[in-house]
Amino acid sequence: MEAHILPTGRRWTLPSLQTLEDVTEAVAAPLMVRAPGRNWWIAMAVCALGTGIGALAVAFSFVYGPGLWGNNSAVVWGFPIANYVWWIGIGNAGTLISSLLLLTRQKWRGSINRFAEAMTLFAVSMAGLFPILHLGRPMYFYWLAPYPNTMGLWPQWRSALVWDFWAILSYLLFSVLFFYVGLVPDLATLRDRAGKRGWQRFYGFLAMGWQGTPVQWRAQERLHRTLAAIAVPLVCSVHSIVGLDFAASLMPGWTESVFPPYFVVGALFSGFAMVVLIALVIRRAMGLEALIVPAHFDAMARIILAAGIVMGASYAAEWFSALWGGEAADVRVVRYEFTGDYWPLYAAMLAGNVLAPQLFWVKRLRTSVPVLAGVAVAVLVGMWLERILILLDTLSIGYEPSFWRTYAPTLVDFLILAGTMSAFVMLLLVFARILPVVSMHEMRKLVAEERA
Amino acid sequence: MTALALACFDDEGPYLRARVRLLADDRRIVGEWLPYAAESLGDGAGQRGVRGAVIVLGLLGALALFALTVWSAVWAYPFNAGGRPLFSWPAFLLAPVEFGALAGAAGGMVMLFRNAGLTKLHHHAFDIDEMLRASQGAFVLAIACDADDASAVLGVMAHAGATHSRLVTS
Repeated sequence: MEAHILPTGRRWTLPSLQTLEDVTEAVAAPLMVRAPGRNWWIAMAVCALGTGIGALAVAFSFVYGPGLWGNNSAVVWGFPIANYVWWIGIGNAGTLISSLLLLTRQKWRGSINRFAEAMTLFAVSMAGLFPILHLGRPMYFYWLAPYPNTMGLWPQWRSALVWDFWAILSYLLFSVLFFYVGLVPDLATLRDRAGKRGWQRFYGFLAMGWQGTPVQWRAQERLHRTLAAIAVPLVCSVHSIVGLDFAASLMPGWTESVFPPYFVVGALFSGFAMVVLIALVIRRAMGLEALIVPAHFDAMARIILAAGIVMGASYAAEWFSALWGGEAADVRVVRYEFTGDYWPLYAAMLAGNVLAPQLFWVKRLRTSVPVLAGVAVAVLVGMWLERILILLDTLSIGYEPSFWRTYAPTLVDFLILAGTMSAFVMLLLVFARILPVVSMHEMRKLVAEERA
Repeated sequence: MTALALACFDDEGPYLRARVRLLADDRRIVGEWLPYAAESLGDGAGQRGVRGAVIVLGLLGALALFALTVWSAVWAYPFNAGGRPLFSWPAFLLAPVEFGALAGAAGGMVMLFRNAGLTKLHHHAFDIDEMLRASQGAFVLAIACDADDASAVLGVMAHAGATHSRLVTS
């Protein structure tokens, strides 16, 4: 991979795309013509192995119970809840990015919105596994749904767990619909160029008879924008609910009104980092250099920088409100963050979430592949550390000193996390082989406008 | 004898020029297919009812779940959780808001399918080879005309910048 992407100004596509059919060719050809390469198979094999091992760890957890995890009597929320919050954060970002950019008529969204939305679907699916695993009796997860039953029981609607159930389920299904509405015209493109009968039927069924008439385009555009307008508050509410899981409790360091917006910004932050990482890989692997240009990375790096500054301000607000309030338990949590058992992790979190994005003040670094990849990974690691430290720094030293415990994760904890990461990448690999990773119809429109 | 004049255009500009000219000549457009949602489409058929369906279904979904929540928590299963009121309406709002968004989206999908005439997998338009080029990047126009003046129609299309045109007679 070249060390530095050549800048092309503020054009969102390269001039090599001469015609609208060139756009179709650039995106659809890897799906229709080229067989998956050796690297794809290697990545698939590694991910399948990781997913299998993760599934085994989950199976052991089902058989032997949560005692296999590092959770203890004080730190009752360990890896599973941290993983859940981390994944749902990444999952929130895809739809948020896509809908925000659509509503604000940002023309560059066409290059990134499709795989960002796919990222949402897969990340939310991963996130949804953890509350079920964490239930203790996962076989009864369906008790969270309201349905008439012989026991005459109904869900406890005042519980944050029930809020999560509705938030995740509604958001996942909503995101599927949002993804599909944007995808339908491209499914028709693939239907009309698929060579084999089986693929024609597959794409033809999914395209639902799309022709591209003016009536269809108007209906699709109207619904897409309407859903985008709903998606923005929906995403904010979903991650606010995750923030309320903590803020609605009575633990030092958690009972803070800043948590919901702080979680939403964190979601956008980690989501953009993941989008940058995926964009770097697919741009190279699928030969999409003409469609994902340095200007895209420049724009995303600016957003990561802005979000990094907001994250830094949020941490400072936490410290300040604890010190200003003077509540002994809150002050103790802040002191523990910097000097306690997990201080190296806390320092690493600050380095990843606050310091690393500052590199993007330098224009040249916003389009440098190694720097982009490095900062994206640092942010993703930093955000995961933030999720786990929200739990550990509070639960390890709660209100009752006789109940203070430190936390040590087990191998099973790490294997389950690695398993979901592998499954996430595996789903992305399959997605990249079956569906267009870039929105062809939106890019055709963009190319037509840039040519004009 | 009735005929169908078909033409493909590489760009929106020539397509619009041909369209305007043919409409000015009182020609009847029987089919047009576009590779993207062109700004020139403007408002019109297809949009009606989409937002309404989203709003109505969204509100209905949210109200239905709120009603179920209140009924189950206050009457069907009045459980005292730490002395909190049975009708804890702020906590009851979260799930209905999420579900309302989903119900609204589902309502919008129904309207999309209805307005756009989707699910017609074997529509007769798929028999026209040119129509399949629209999904790849071409603007396609189909004009009904008499075989006698077909050459005039094809001439207008070619003059406007059609990259391909042909006549289909029945």
